[in-house]
Amino acid sequence: MNIRQATTDDLLAMQNCNIMNLPENYQMKYYFYHALSWPQLSFVAEDHKGRIVGYVLAKMEEDREDEPPHGHITSLSVMRTYRRLGIAEKLMTQAQKSMVEVFNAQYVSLHVRKSNRAALQLYKETLKFRIHEIEKKYYADGEDAYAMRKDLR
Amino acid sequence: MRELPSRESAQFKQILKYYEFKQYKKGLKAAEQILKKYPEHGETLAMKGLFLNHMERKEEAREFARKGLRSDLNSHICWHVYGLLHRSDKNYGEALKCYTHALKIDKDNMQILQDYSLLQIQMRNYEAYNESRHHLLQLRSNNQRYWIGLAISYHLLENYETAGKVLKAYEETLKEKPSSMNFEYSEMLLYHNLILEESGDIKAALEHLESIKGEICDQRTWKEKRAQFLLKLDRFQEAEEAYLELIDDNPDCYSYYEGLHQAKKINVNSNNLTPEEEEKIITIYKELSQKYPKSNAIKRFPLQYITGENFKTLVDEYIRAALRKGVPSLFVNLKNFYDNPQKEKIIEQLVEGYLQCLKKHGTFTPPNENENEDDIIKEPPTAHLWTLYLLSQHYDNKRDNTKALKSIDEAIEHTPTLVELYMTKGRILKHGGNISEATKVMNEARELDLQDRFINSKCTKYMLRSNQPIEAENTIGLFTRGDAPDPITDLMEMQCMWFALEEADCYFRFNKLGKALKRLHQIEKHFSDITDDQFDFHTYCLRKVTLRAYLSMLRLEDQLRSHPYYLRSATNAIKIYLKLYDNPKTAALNDDDQDYANMTEGERKKAKSKAKRAALKKQKEDDEKKEKSKDEQKKRIEKPIDDDPEGEKFLKTDDPLGEAFKFLMPLQELSSKRIETHLLGFEIYLRKEKYLLALRALLQAYKIEKENATLHKDIIRFKLEVTSNRSKIHPTTIQVITEELTSKILPEDMNLIKFSEEFIERNKNSIEHLLVGAESFYLIDPSKKQEAGNLLLKVYDEKYNETRTLQNCISVYEALKNTFESPKAEEFYKKCKEWFPISTYFNQETK
Repeated sequence: MNIRQATTDDLLAMQNCNIMNLPENYQMKYYFYHALSWPQLSFVAEDHKGRIVGYVLAKMEEDREDEPPHGHITSLSVMRTYRRLGIAEKLMTQAQKSMVEVFNAQYVSLHVRKSNRAALQLYKETLKFRIHEIEKKYYADGEDAYAMRKDLR
Repeated sequence: MRELPSRESAQFKQILKYYEFKQYKKGLKAAEQILKKYPEHGETLAMKGLFLNHMERKEEAREFARKGLRSDLNSHICWHVYGLLHRSDKNYGEALKCYTHALKIDKDNMQILQDYSLLQIQMRNYEAYNESRHHLLQLRSNNQRYWIGLAISYHLLENYETAGKVLKAYEETLKEKPSSMNFEYSEMLLYHNLILEESGDIKAALEHLESIKGEICDQRTWKEKRAQFLLKLDRFQEAEEAYLELIDDNPDCYSYYEGLHQAKKINVNSNNLTPEEEEKIITIYKELSQKYPKSNAIKRFPLQYITGENFKTLVDEYIRAALRKGVPSLFVNLKNFYDNPQKEKIIEQLVEGYLQCLKKHGTFTPPNENENEDDIIKEPPTAHLWTLYLLSQHYDNKRDNTKALKSIDEAIEHTPTLVELYMTKGRILKHGGNISEATKVMNEARELDLQDRFINSKCTKYMLRSNQPIEAENTIGLFTRGDAPDPITDLMEMQCMWFALEEADCYFRFNKLGKALKRLHQIEKHFSDITDDQFDFHTYCLRKVTLRAYLSMLRLEDQLRSHPYYLRSATNAIKIYLKLYDNPKTAALNDDDQDYANMTEGERKKAKSKAKRAALKKQKEDDEKKEKSKDEQKKRIEKPIDDDPEGEKFLKTDDPLGEAFKFLMPLQELSSKRIETHLLGFEIYLRKEKYLLALRALLQAYKIEKENATLHKDIIRFKLEVTSNRSKIHPTTIQVITEELTSKILPEDMNLIKFSEEFIERNKNSIEHLLVGAESFYLIDPSKKQEAGNLLLKVYDEKYNETRTLQNCISVYEALKNTFESPKAEEFYKKCKEWFPISTYFNQETK
């Protein structure tokens, strides 16, 4: 699997991958917003035919005065048929590297549904995130989120 | 009257402030106050319109803006506001005109100039954009944004030299360089470097790149660029080192290995590498894999290039590791080696071998004879499962339904809870031609993991393929947002394309053309929304200085409608409009039987009762939902009422060919290398009796793929129609057609029969071509129906084994039965039943 930085040309395929896989979806403009604000932070996994089978969509939280610069994972997903190759881990490794190199990120944060045990397992065990706090009713349907963090320093 | 008394004049200034700070309500109130006293004050009227527009009261907005302009034609504010309203309606052309008027009155108005330049870039009016950017920089030369804007405008005009000079001049105005790790400055320098690169002067680009190293935050891009430049300048040794360093940063990036190959001068694209070259590749990747054991790319790359025993040894290792681990994508990964039949055979033998051993000994290979039974290290039990899984996919790929199903059923028996197994079984059934059974299996898979949207999506897709749109909508609705009025609305808002495409296909099969068109027009809307989305980024990216990304966005937008989703939607929309043109009555027919017109009796019955059941179920669910959500409803935003759920308005068009043409234009502009574009164009032009354009479409198609089967039939149709319509066509046109056809496609001394015979002969292994050939004979001479039908019976010949696919056989059978009315049709059907044992089409009881 080819792991490389996402370009604007990948955004439609990323959006398709997202809407096939995950319940949290975004309009195309939001993908463009990521690619045009932090072009270095999003990555895709591509099979040998050039089909996008996984992606990480990431951003920086830079403008808050009360917090040090840190990265945020907006969305991460790998097509079910391409699991067990360590793709999610590789995508995350690359995104985190860039957050530090390009934007001097101190840590990276993300949200995960409380009920999504598979994702929680991935972030906790494989990617070494820890639960920072619980955000009540974070999702539109009223579900709580774990706000997770990982230090990058 | 322009001048207001001082009190109102101050108030008006306040109004402008309100607008700037987006306080639309306050602004509106203040405007109304002035208007109480001075109801004809043009600029206040205009501003009122502008506020209303931001408050979603579009119609009133337009009225006030117009009124304002009428009372004060010499106000730049009135013209500007009118332009802004046009812009918000996406009437960019009209908006441009208004801004031009406004600037005539107030030529140095920054705000208007800004807005003007945005429209120019949105419309890709590069010359005018360049002029505006000049003007803006003149007015504000101390602001970085205006320097960059001017540089971009030169870059877009491909005037790289001046673009570079502008940036250099700006860099020189900076008294001191920004402190290190300044993202914006770093991006600007990399953009400057891109300009040099695109100018073609790679040497200069490399020098510049080296000189900015210390200022760059984005070190990865810097390294990538450097490696590319070194390669282009034939500095291979340094390039090799550069790529090795990049591999160290990301050992899974293909392009780094491609760079490495070039730097090491290994021509991996040649089909026969020498044994020495193969050895070289094996050694390189062996070393790399020791250094980066987790990289999949390193393990896979050499397999692509090596052959024979070398391949066998490495692929053996590769497959075993994946089977032990249980990697579901193993087959997809291996499949692309199947281009080489020798490799396919090796893989089949290996995996069959594993299966035998796993069954007997629990190992991949036979154990040593002297070894004690207890000493044998056994594979995990899942290895057996994944081996069966791999084999079933392998046989499915060969379209050996029986073997594929046998393996997958064994796997399911082994582990009845694994979603992937059912998904594969579904695929096998689909390939074998039993889509309804496939859908059932997919639904079982879905029920095994209700939390996973991926399997939900797959199952939905199968439901659409088996013509069950209501079930599909209910299923996908399990994952759409609960606060949306219905699943379709959510999917539309989220610009989901795959579902709309599949549902359109589904309705097209049903002959519900209105609904199908509705979905296809939705996709068109998504694309035009993406085009409009650019607007805000023209300003945003200059501020953020993410200029390289900005440029790639502009280029993407220019090519947007070459995206496969657009191609698919446009192609189908054109086909539907052609159908509407050919059968205007279809539009009126929307009764039940019409829905199922393309199905056989058995399918029809089933589909009808299924649809009925589904409709009842949905009704019940809807009622329950309504009960439940009565309270929520109050909170919820009013459900937007779809006043045309059936897409009637698309069916009612008086100009289906004109509508079809709208979808064709982007294809002609962006996808002129695809033969389909010209074949669709031909269909439209022929119906419009635009024979020269039809001819041109044929000639272009011929240039792309002269043996294309559809094209052959189209040439025949064209020639026949021109001949029979001869009296109505202008003699010059006839002359041009004859000359062009004879010189490029159809030699003068060749009649159409011979032309078709030679076509069949040249494509002697293809059933598709045989069928088109037979149809052509019949078109040329309708009295030869029987001969044409007999010709098609050659389909039994051994030489057609390779192309005897299910789809081809269905087409042949239908042609035999319906077109040629051949008495041999049923005999062929029986044969197909043997060839395609699980296909529903060839296994209907009524036959």
